[in-house]
Amino acid sequence: MKSEESVGPPVLKVENLAVAYKVRGGEVEAVQDVSFEIHRGQSLGIVGESGCGKSTVAWSIVNFLGANGYVKRGSIKFQGQELVGKTGEALRRLRGDQIAMVYQDPMQALNPSMRLGDQLREVLTVHRGLSKKEAERRCIEMLERVYMPDAAAVMKRYPHQISGGQQQRVVIAMALLNNPALVIMDEPTTALDVTVEAAVLDLVAELRRDFDTAIMFISHNLGVVARVCNHVGVMYAGEMVERARVGDLYANPQHPYTQGLMRCVPKLGSDKVSSILYPIRGRVPPPDNRPAGCIYGPRCDYAQDRCQHEHPALRPISGVGNWARCHFAEEIDAAAWTPPEEIPIPTIDQPQSDNQPIMQINELSKYYEVRGDSLRDVFGLSQPRYVKAVERVSFTVPKGKTLGIVGESGCGKSTLIKTIIGLEDSSSGEAQFMGFDITGAIQQRDTQLIRELQMVFQNPDSTMNPSYTVGQQIGRPMERFNTVPKNQIRSEVIKLLEAMRLGSNYYDRLPRQLSGGEKQRVGIARALASQPDLVLCDEPVSALDVSVQAAILNLLLEVQQQFGTTLIFIAHDLSVVRFFSDYVAVMYLGQMMEIGPAEAIYAPPYHPYTEALLSAVPIPDPKARQKRIRLEGAVPSAMNPPTGCRFNTRCPRRHLLPDPDICLTEPPWRDVGPDHQIFCHHTVETLSSFDPVIAETV
Amino acid sequence: MARFLVRSVISTIVTMLLVSIALFGLIEVGSGDITVKILGIESTAEQRASYRAQLGLDQSAALRYIGWLVGNDWLVRGRVGHKLVTVKNPQTGEDQWWADVDGQLTRWRMRSGELYALLRQENGSSVEVLANDGWQLDPETGTEFFWGVNDNNSAVKWVRGAGERVWVRTSAGFRQQGDGPQQYIPLRKGILRGDPGLALQTGRPVAVTLIPRIRNTAVLAGVAFIVVMPLALVLGILAGVNEGKPLDRVISVGGLAATATPEFVTGIFLILVLGIWLKEIWPGSPFKAVALFTSPDAIFRDPTLLLLPVLTLTAVELGYVARMTRASMVEVMDSAYIRTAIIKGMPYRRVVLRHAIRNALMAPITIIMLHVNWLVGGVVVVEVIFGYPGLGKYIYDSAIFGDFNAIEAAAMVTVFIAVVTRLIGDLAYTLLNPRLRYT
Amino acid sequence: MAAATSSPRTEQLSRLQRWGKTVRIIFESRVATVGLMMVLFWFLLGFISLVWTPYRPNFSDFEQNLRPNSTNWLGTDHLGRDILSRLMAGTQVILLKTRLPGDFPILGGKAIPGGVALWGVFGSLTLGSVLGLNAGYRSGWWDQIIMQLLDALIAFPQIVLYLVVIAALGQGDLVVILAITVTGAPGVARLVRSLTLDIKTRDYIRAAETRGESVWFIMFREILPNIRGPLLVDSMLRVGYAIFAIGTLGFLGIGLPPPDPDWGNMVNDARRNIFFNQWAVIPPSLAIATLVIGLNLFADGLREEINRYQK
Repeated sequence: MKSEESVGPPVLKVENLAVAYKVRGGEVEAVQDVSFEIHRGQSLGIVGESGCGKSTVAWSIVNFLGANGYVKRGSIKFQGQELVGKTGEALRRLRGDQIAMVYQDPMQALNPSMRLGDQLREVLTVHRGLSKKEAERRCIEMLERVYMPDAAAVMKRYPHQISGGQQQRVVIAMALLNNPALVIMDEPTTALDVTVEAAVLDLVAELRRDFDTAIMFISHNLGVVARVCNHVGVMYAGEMVERARVGDLYANPQHPYTQGLMRCVPKLGSDKVSSILYPIRGRVPPPDNRPAGCIYGPRCDYAQDRCQHEHPALRPISGVGNWARCHFAEEIDAAAWTPPEEIPIPTIDQPQSDNQPIMQINELSKYYEVRGDSLRDVFGLSQPRYVKAVERVSFTVPKGKTLGIVGESGCGKSTLIKTIIGLEDSSSGEAQFMGFDITGAIQQRDTQLIRELQMVFQNPDSTMNPSYTVGQQIGRPMERFNTVPKNQIRSEVIKLLEAMRLGSNYYDRLPRQLSGGEKQRVGIARALASQPDLVLCDEPVSALDVSVQAAILNLLLEVQQQFGTTLIFIAHDLSVVRFFSDYVAVMYLGQMMEIGPAEAIYAPPYHPYTEALLSAVPIPDPKARQKRIRLEGAVPSAMNPPTGCRFNTRCPRRHLLPDPDICLTEPPWRDVGPDHQIFCHHTVETLSSFDPVIAETV
Repeated sequence: MARFLVRSVISTIVTMLLVSIALFGLIEVGSGDITVKILGIESTAEQRASYRAQLGLDQSAALRYIGWLVGNDWLVRGRVGHKLVTVKNPQTGEDQWWADVDGQLTRWRMRSGELYALLRQENGSSVEVLANDGWQLDPETGTEFFWGVNDNNSAVKWVRGAGERVWVRTSAGFRQQGDGPQQYIPLRKGILRGDPGLALQTGRPVAVTLIPRIRNTAVLAGVAFIVVMPLALVLGILAGVNEGKPLDRVISVGGLAATATPEFVTGIFLILVLGIWLKEIWPGSPFKAVALFTSPDAIFRDPTLLLLPVLTLTAVELGYVARMTRASMVEVMDSAYIRTAIIKGMPYRRVVLRHAIRNALMAPITIIMLHVNWLVGGVVVVEVIFGYPGLGKYIYDSAIFGDFNAIEAAAMVTVFIAVVTRLIGDLAYTLLNPRLRYT
Repeated sequence: MAAATSSPRTEQLSRLQRWGKTVRIIFESRVATVGLMMVLFWFLLGFISLVWTPYRPNFSDFEQNLRPNSTNWLGTDHLGRDILSRLMAGTQVILLKTRLPGDFPILGGKAIPGGVALWGVFGSLTLGSVLGLNAGYRSGWWDQIIMQLLDALIAFPQIVLYLVVIAALGQGDLVVILAITVTGAPGVARLVRSLTLDIKTRDYIRAAETRGESVWFIMFREILPNIRGPLLVDSMLRVGYAIFAIGTLGFLGIGLPPPDPDWGNMVNDARRNIFFNQWAVIPPSLAIATLVIGLNLFADGLREEINRYQK
């Protein structure tokens, strides 16, 4: 990072910004009193949990707040010009020319019925009046600049014809075409897989240096911000509560909220035995019901009388470079923090290690037949083709333990658990659970077997049926499996609710009266209601904010302790999987690449894919030194996977083999440690010789 | 795309088959005794029974359906023993059935117990010769019988010495004859081969009457379509980009009122206001409260006859299409890619014209095409109100009379229009939508 | 933590309060309010006509083809019957009662509450929901076959279907209900199917499947309750279409049988006499138009308001 200090006038200066939305019966201030500035070549990260107003800030800069939103107070100065109140032609000339934006979901952001070339070119033809030919040339140059393979051909394609990562590159290229002074990026990598995300983040960092642009980077992910930003603002409930240079913020957070956030996130490499996640108690106040005084007051462990009456200002904290919105920032010593009593902290006993397997999966495969689209296919004349979603996967799960499965989208992890639970039948292979065969679909299974296998789902908003109360939904499995006599269902449900740390008054609530975390708790309670021996968790925390995520993870740990439940845990977040699991399996394109005890997976010897995954994980610590391995190309189609090792087309370690063509044959499973196996042609010695991905933090 | 097309075509064919069966079944259940309507209520049971047999109504429903669909000459051929062919009658242009006896077109007739063959000559006349050597012996009953084609386009079975007393419908009226056949199978080519049969009401081939009717309706609907579409799309787009503003309110509520008002109410009001009241102030007004369609070609001689029917159809359709377009436009203007275009600093006109319209028109086009059969309903009512000699009026009249051949044929035309327009809608959607085009 | 700090948002709402909220939504929208008023007006008139009409609706008590005057506010028809009385009584068969035929197994010859339009829509909702749920949830062959059948039914021009059904089964309230049921079902089924396709991707359906619930349980207990809202709005529109269709049938002379007055038929009679009495066509025409428009406005406003509310 070159000059971290501001030189010259700021590109963007936001002062005391307040944005309000008119709603039924009044208006709410989504953003209050936000101030910051960004200089050329700087990138300011804005982090915060969902609903904290970070996107609203971005939209107010380009004055795109919709029909019911408006800037209520404050000023937004762009290169000295006031933007607030600017409309019409003057505003239009700035947009896309001087100020550009990159959005969260590139697929949605690109017009589905226009060629990418047309969408790119018009930025130049409209703003700069370039000829079509000249614009075309410049667009291709820019696409090449963002490392888009085959740039000229991409110009003629439609958005759906390129991958998500490539779409985001197109959107970034579009933003940079006019060499804008300010680029606003709103969660640009949230919809992308971790390895793709890493590559896009590299690109963003590189472009900032080369183009000397000011970047406003919005994200909920502390790790992502740490990687690309040099300044960070933390937002909470519509206010900016802390602002600092990136190193200061992560090393020495001053605001109690920032400190709380840091304690919620598992560090890559930490596990449940050695470390504890501390969720923040309470919940974010809704915008129409914010507390007087300090907005974080009701959740703050250091709150005093003053915090309830006096609204703190964002002020520089003496002795450090940070600005924080706290009356007592100087007096708070984060290191001396002890968890308040009302936060439930699971105690992890070293589990009894009889290691009796409860589930054994042997060479399980799941293929889907796909129909082609040519005339021959339509009449059924051609060979049937298959998507090989899961290919010969084997593992065992010991009773009472947790198996984590990681992999990027399309790796087959979801199909795998669907097959295990019986939502799909399997195509070949063996699968046994407590001695019962579970290769068939759920219709072929015995009720008692169904009862023993339950599932927790990803999306809190869809995990509960909106039409029934919490009590009805938790009670239904008890009723269906007759685990509890009818007249005792209510009391049993309340017992479970209390175990989930929800009061008995939740019994009659409807899902829409619950927050995301509460819904997820009910989802867990419903899965446990039939007293299953094994619960499959499909990304149970990935849709939750970090503070809620911590609470849910703790709850699951507690449940496992209390009921001795075996868990299979799917996630794409490697830190979470590492923290939560006893064993980890890594999947790529339907194949299992590596399986072993969690601590062994995260240290050499690695499978080359695991190594690439780990090096892509954004770490919430700007000082962490992480090896930089980026995968080339895109994940091949599962309909036509590479032969042999499916990773061979992208493997960064393939060239180290004396004969790289050996990768076209099926690799052996190599035993590299106790219970630790790697599916690779490299010898154990070669694999062990790789450096650890993450060096110890300085 | 190939899959999609093949599926659409197959689905269209299956749909038409299903509809024809359902229609046939419904009429079968419900049409009651058609002969009462044809012969009048004063006819006797004996007359009706005889006429039913001549119409072939004593055959099983399945046989009649097959005959209706693909014709029955190939089924009957085995009985007659000769190939059955049709020849145009030089005077009426209608098809006549003949048996092809070794190159000689032949029909038969029984007179005074004797069987005669009618041999068709080059000039269209025929020569009658005695053909008693054609009788065949039925070994079971010991009687002699003959299967042939009579002069009323039926395959019939005569039994020697047992001429039935039958009631024959002639141009002069209904009279009794001797020497009638024992069994009738009216010959037909089937609708798939272009022969929808005879209209029971008039006794003339349905195809002959139907074609000018279809043409008239096509003119009516076509003119309405040409008026409605551009207007409705423009109004819909205008309303959509001005969502929530007064212009949108006026178009939306006006469109809703126009769509929700039944066609007959709209039509009557138009007659009342334009045809009667306006006439009192302005006697020369071209709107006619009562339009007399003296011949099927009247609209070509006096196009002002079209004014009120077209206006009525327009009023109903305009609102519907405009509202569909508006909804689609509102949705598109709310989408992320329009946001992108605006944030890219594109001028508003360009955002609407280049980015929004194409996406916004995709949905209405399919919906409009699906809506065509609704339009057919409207056409029936409009044609009935104005006495317009089109397909809709034809369906209405045939249904009221219970003329199954006519309803079947006319309904199949409307169903055909409905499914084909839907197919076109699907196609248009695929062509407009690159996501479907390139997969 | 839960009970003490619960914000107003999470507080229990009684059923009554929720109803109050719904009613408020209606009145938030001017369009919906106007629509509701129009519909209620006709309901009110219908209820009044059950006990009182100015004159006897089915008797020729007056001179023929009278213009509106102080005795007969809306004039008389071609048979000398009071148009206002007939108009009021005409709401009954549409909205308030259905006359069962004399040989009907139960309550033969009697009238049951609920008009022909309402029963017809109820029928198409029931049939359409069952078909749509099966097509949407089971998918595969079920979907193919059901959709093919529905496509055929949709391709069948409705008016032809009415004409043929009524030609086949004769005039009668039940026949009209059947015709409305059959013609309305495909639309309902398509709507239910598309809603089901959406709902069935939700995790709570996965949860039910992993409990091994039966297909019928999932369709009717898990999915159906969650599509009530859009279905209700749609059915309001459908009542409008049904009245539209009844009017058209009446106009074509194949609608609800006498003796009760039928608006469509009144328009048709008046049309034939339009040169003697131009005033007779207006009241029944306006009656049909306002009732249908009212229902449309109500449904439209409600839908818009619900959408806005959910945003």
